[in-house]
Amino acid sequence: MGMTRGLLITALFGIVLFILIPVYVPRPSFIPGFAPPPDMWPRTVSIIGMVLGLLLLGLSLSRKTQAIADPEDAGAIRGDTPLPILLMRFGWAVLAFALFIGAVMLLGFLLASMLLLVVMLILTGYWQRRWVSLMVAIVLPLVLYLFFSSALNTRFPTGSLLRALGV
Amino acid sequence: MLNDLLIAFQAVATFENFLIMAAGIWGGVIIGAIPGMTGTMAVTLALPFTFYMQPIPSILLLVALYKGSTYGGSVSAILIKTPGTASAACTTLDGYPLARQGKAGKALNMALYSSCTGDFISNLSLIFIAAPLALLALRIGPPEYFMLMVFALTTVAGVSGRSLLLGLVSACLGLLLATVGEDMYGSFRFDLTVDMQSGLAVAPVLIGLFAIPELLKIVVFRNTEAQKPMQLGDNKVTRAELRRSLKSMLKGSMIGVVMGAIPGIGPSAAAFSSYGEAQRSSKNRENFGKGEVEGIAASESANNGCCGSTMIPLLALGVPGDVITGVMLGAFMIHGMTPGPMLFENNLNEVYMLFIGMLFSSVLLFGAGKATMRFFSHISRIPPGLMAPIVLVLCLFGIFSISNSMYDVIVLLAMGVFGFFMFLFAIPAAPFLIAFILGPMLEENLRRALAISRGDPSILVSSPITWLFASLAVFVVVITIRQQLKKAKA
Repeated sequence: MGMTRGLLITALFGIVLFILIPVYVPRPSFIPGFAPPPDMWPRTVSIIGMVLGLLLLGLSLSRKTQAIADPEDAGAIRGDTPLPILLMRFGWAVLAFALFIGAVMLLGFLLASMLLLVVMLILTGYWQRRWVSLMVAIVLPLVLYLFFSSALNTRFPTGSLLRALGV
Repeated sequence: MLNDLLIAFQAVATFENFLIMAAGIWGGVIIGAIPGMTGTMAVTLALPFTFYMQPIPSILLLVALYKGSTYGGSVSAILIKTPGTASAACTTLDGYPLARQGKAGKALNMALYSSCTGDFISNLSLIFIAAPLALLALRIGPPEYFMLMVFALTTVAGVSGRSLLLGLVSACLGLLLATVGEDMYGSFRFDLTVDMQSGLAVAPVLIGLFAIPELLKIVVFRNTEAQKPMQLGDNKVTRAELRRSLKSMLKGSMIGVVMGAIPGIGPSAAAFSSYGEAQRSSKNRENFGKGEVEGIAASESANNGCCGSTMIPLLALGVPGDVITGVMLGAFMIHGMTPGPMLFENNLNEVYMLFIGMLFSSVLLFGAGKATMRFFSHISRIPPGLMAPIVLVLCLFGIFSISNSMYDVIVLLAMGVFGFFMFLFAIPAAPFLIAFILGPMLEENLRRALAISRGDPSILVSSPITWLFASLAVFVVVITIRQQLKKAKA
């Protein structure tokens, strides 16, 4: 894992340094006094990050120094489950998050949260206790919705579909 | 002075004042324990109610809310690995592993003892050493601030993982993310969308980084243990554990007092620095991060140690150190008192009443903590497979309510996914968080220092204070590298 990690870290800071900063951190045409430009700090941090990434990469090439760069065993984190299954589960979870954000615009915050809670209970495997899960998925968001809207006057999105239906 | 304190004691020790402080502490503990709701929110919400109250009870209510929420933040940090406040993030490192071992009560007890100790010492320091500490805080300029924060970051990077290099990578990631949005001179950076021009708020980043990866771990790795309720066994802190943690508790309290007295540094940096120092000097340093009560003692004593001392620059100089004391400054002024050197001339009685009230509130904090502990520790019995989705929904509602914007919710979820990747690559989350919190101030002070010196970087090592912090940072790096080399050889 050490080499992959070193490469990824170097690449990440490299992208920030060579692609994102030139495009998204413009230098103003006039800088008052001796004030350093706005890109000075992100550039400095990215360079340090890249150097650290390269150092991690270099250390993981030699067996003697590998333990410094890679103190944790990736296998211990992953367990015996095959990688494609782990990736699929992760994909489902991220998809659920993305759908939740889309669903808020359509169904409103309350209904979207209920649906997300159901999906997450299925994904964690707790859905076997269906009645408890269903109760939690309906009651908890409802209680939170009522609490935040009455105590803090939070105005949660109602959703375009529900608005069209006049709810 | 003693005579004045006795008179103030009589004036404060009324049933009405106790009731107000108890309500503030309880309210603060509950608000602090809810992810997404912060002490700042509690104090701001309570401010309008203080318009109709007498000056001292109103300030005491705000102080009680502040103290209660600081302790409350540790409750959710220990039980569900979701720090209620940024300063409690450090408590998750050892608190949550202890809760998973069925020792949630022990962790909560240690957090309470340390919080009350830190709080009490902080109040005493406010009473007796406010003036010299305020003078020290005044002598700290941009270069000193910069070096102090470099020292805090180095300490955190060195102790919160198994590798200093990975800790530093994590800190760099946090510093980089903190640059998103408008900078000190009004330039926008990394504004990929319009929402990003306002930058990233601390709450969604903090909660996303700590709470959501727990859910993703359960979803992805499907641990069968996740469906079982956790045990609720060992609840008491033994005398041996208390004795072992006492040194870290006292040291943490003092770190909290000093860092709290410096405007802007705040309890998060204090908690992490204290944790780092405790780990460095502890005989059980190997156990840190796996459920060590000494780790909880160090972080909790330091973050509550800031509660009283953040009032030092406010009362002595009229300078609010953070948002909460800024709100308190408003409360003082509403009641016709102007914090600063003249406060001790014009309103000495009120100042002493405030001091005594703050000491009482430490005792009330202990009572409120003990009373709520039994209830809170039962939360840890909920199986993680059910708890993690519940926490997710709690976070979604809490975060949305802060800004009424879906942008923060998106940041929360994105940070959760990012935090999960950090976990997969064994990159510790703590340095990332502390760098993200301190990042804007670190950059601001560096740029200010360079502007003052006309671009000459030698200003960063131009005074004895900067030399002190720079040497401490180098010392921490050398010690950490030595320890890790020893471990790698073994």
